[in-house]
Amino acid sequence: MTPLPFDPLASGPLLAGAVLATVASLWLLLPNGRDTTSARWLGALLGLAALAAFIATGRRLGGLGEEAVFLIVSLVAVISAAATIVSRSPVYAAIWFALSLAGVAGVLLVLGAQFLGVATIVVYAGAILVMFLFVLMLAQPAGLAPYDRVSNEPFLSALAGAVLLGVLSLSIGRLSAGPASCCDLPTRATATVDTTAAPATAPVATVVDPLAENHVARLGGELFGRHLVAVEAAGVLLLVALIGAIAVVSRGEAAHAAEATTAKGPAAGRIAAR
Amino acid sequence: MNTLAPFLPTIAALVKIGLLVGGLMTAAAYLVLVERWMAAWVQDRKGPNRVGIPLTKIRLFGLGQPLADGLKIILKEDFTPRHVDKVLYTAAPLVILAASLAIFAAIPFGSVLPPLGIPGLPDPVPFLVAPGLDVGVLWVFALSSIAVYGVLLGGWASNNKYGFLGGLRSSAQLVAYEIPLGLGLLGVVLAAGSLKLDAIMNAQAESGVWYAFAQPLGFIVFLVASFAEAARLPFDLPEAEQELVGGYHTEYSGIKLLLFLVAEFLHMVTAAFLIVIMFLGGWHLWGVTGSSQEVTWLGAFIRFGVLSTKIFAVILFFMLVRWSWPRFRFDQLMNLAWKVVLPLGIANLVTVATIEEFRPQLVERLGAGPAGVIALAAPWAVFFLGWIAAGMLTPSGTDNTPIRTHNMLDAERELVEV
Repeated sequence: MTPLPFDPLASGPLLAGAVLATVASLWLLLPNGRDTTSARWLGALLGLAALAAFIATGRRLGGLGEEAVFLIVSLVAVISAAATIVSRSPVYAAIWFALSLAGVAGVLLVLGAQFLGVATIVVYAGAILVMFLFVLMLAQPAGLAPYDRVSNEPFLSALAGAVLLGVLSLSIGRLSAGPASCCDLPTRATATVDTTAAPATAPVATVVDPLAENHVARLGGELFGRHLVAVEAAGVLLLVALIGAIAVVSRGEAAHAAEATTAKGPAAGRIAAR
Repeated sequence: MNTLAPFLPTIAALVKIGLLVGGLMTAAAYLVLVERWMAAWVQDRKGPNRVGIPLTKIRLFGLGQPLADGLKIILKEDFTPRHVDKVLYTAAPLVILAASLAIFAAIPFGSVLPPLGIPGLPDPVPFLVAPGLDVGVLWVFALSSIAVYGVLLGGWASNNKYGFLGGLRSSAQLVAYEIPLGLGLLGVVLAAGSLKLDAIMNAQAESGVWYAFAQPLGFIVFLVASFAEAARLPFDLPEAEQELVGGYHTEYSGIKLLLFLVAEFLHMVTAAFLIVIMFLGGWHLWGVTGSSQEVTWLGAFIRFGVLSTKIFAVILFFMLVRWSWPRFRFDQLMNLAWKVVLPLGIANLVTVATIEEFRPQLVERLGAGPAGVIALAAPWAVFFLGWIAAGMLTPSGTDNTPIRTHNMLDAERELVEV
């Protein structure tokens, strides 16, 4: 897992080219009302070129099998994320998003973050996106109006996204190429887990392999040890949201009842309340 | 041999996948036959008993029926209606079948093999495709929620109102019952202290107390929720024949329909596996299988047999329920999920968490015996309390007669008179 030396100057032009190609490709692909087949083909080709350039600037993972699987799942994630924003049909966008989430979960699994990978599928693909699909299918069975199908600022949004992508690639490339490379982070995490995790589940201090035994127990120890306040805060936030949703619904019913009362006398109000 | 060593775990996994997929597919075919026999038995008729060895007069109790059925449905025309969304129409059965097969990567189908002594293979060999997966329960949960996509997309892509209604009903039902399902799982995970299904079985074997006895409420909640997730009969609204023709697979035929039907059966098999592994002790049977990790070949075989027998018994229970109960109405289904099963699941989870928190103190104060009795008695007390509460707070029947009135005041007058 030794990273290849990364030279920002050598890969700089490549990265800049990749960013420019991404901008052009997204601009051509985003739904902007033109909808010519040749433009979309050109956009897709440019996008593939940009993707290849981004891959070329990245560093190697080591291990042929691991690298191949990583490449496949990450390509699935990236391509379906792009397809999410360029597809015209909302249902297809949701499906592409689901596929992108599956790709992200695959990336996390390959990297050894099993819990995060599976939780991504459970929470996003399993619950949230199903709700999206449910609503999309219920709301507009006949499809969207034409003016709803075009992107509002295709050029600016493509530019912003691509520039963000380029900056992130550059900084991550620099970080991982520097002396304090990838293997710094897991060691620190393991060391902190040892001090905070419950004694029964505390792993041996030398274990750095993320696929080791008790992966979830270590994650849980970390979450409920160092990050206890954050976890509790998130829990309270969700509880507040839940109570708020219930309050909105019941207030709506009460208002409905009161309306009925004023309109038709007290008897009707009592019925509505029932 | 040494050149093969790095690939041995992969080869072992492939062998397990082959055995599992082959076994599951055969089992699914023959379970259809068992289901039809069961239906015939419940309805007091003979059922399929004719098809035996072709070109002979040998009938073999109808054991050739699944082969004949399978051959017929595979050779049928794979018809795609013109009004469907072709991409999603084709993808839906694939998604649902792939998800329901991938679930079995984390589900053990036995205990362990005795050490084989092959260098490069971890000993003892577990009956599990992905033994390194530390989040087995969550994996099962995640992939069973992916199966919703198949149903939803199949219903939507068919561009047919019955299919669409079936898909919508199904997604609402599956999303609603995923929560009690998760609560049932959580209680067991908390008690066993692991997300691995084989570790959960080992925990039950070591203590000798199956979680169905230690967490009766959790067992009931999980049983109901897994019936609903498998869309079996009291909960088969997604494909209610009398209302929706065939539900989400109305427009499907030939091999695509077969994929849907196999996936449905696999859901039931998965549910049976989970019920047995998590609540009925898995491969453990008192006085027969032992509880240690060292096994002989005979022991491994007996454990496999015990697990399979239990699973088959649960599947028979599923089938018996299918042929003896009527279907819920949609509002009853939702009321059951949100107003009965969900609170009961939370009650179970709180009980289990409390017991597990105070178990060390109890053991220290009272000794292991009385502490164990308390830890068993408390969930049963909660079980009966929850049962009584559910019975008192939720009416067993609802009054469905519509109030025929012209305005609200008349309705109120009627109510006051009553």
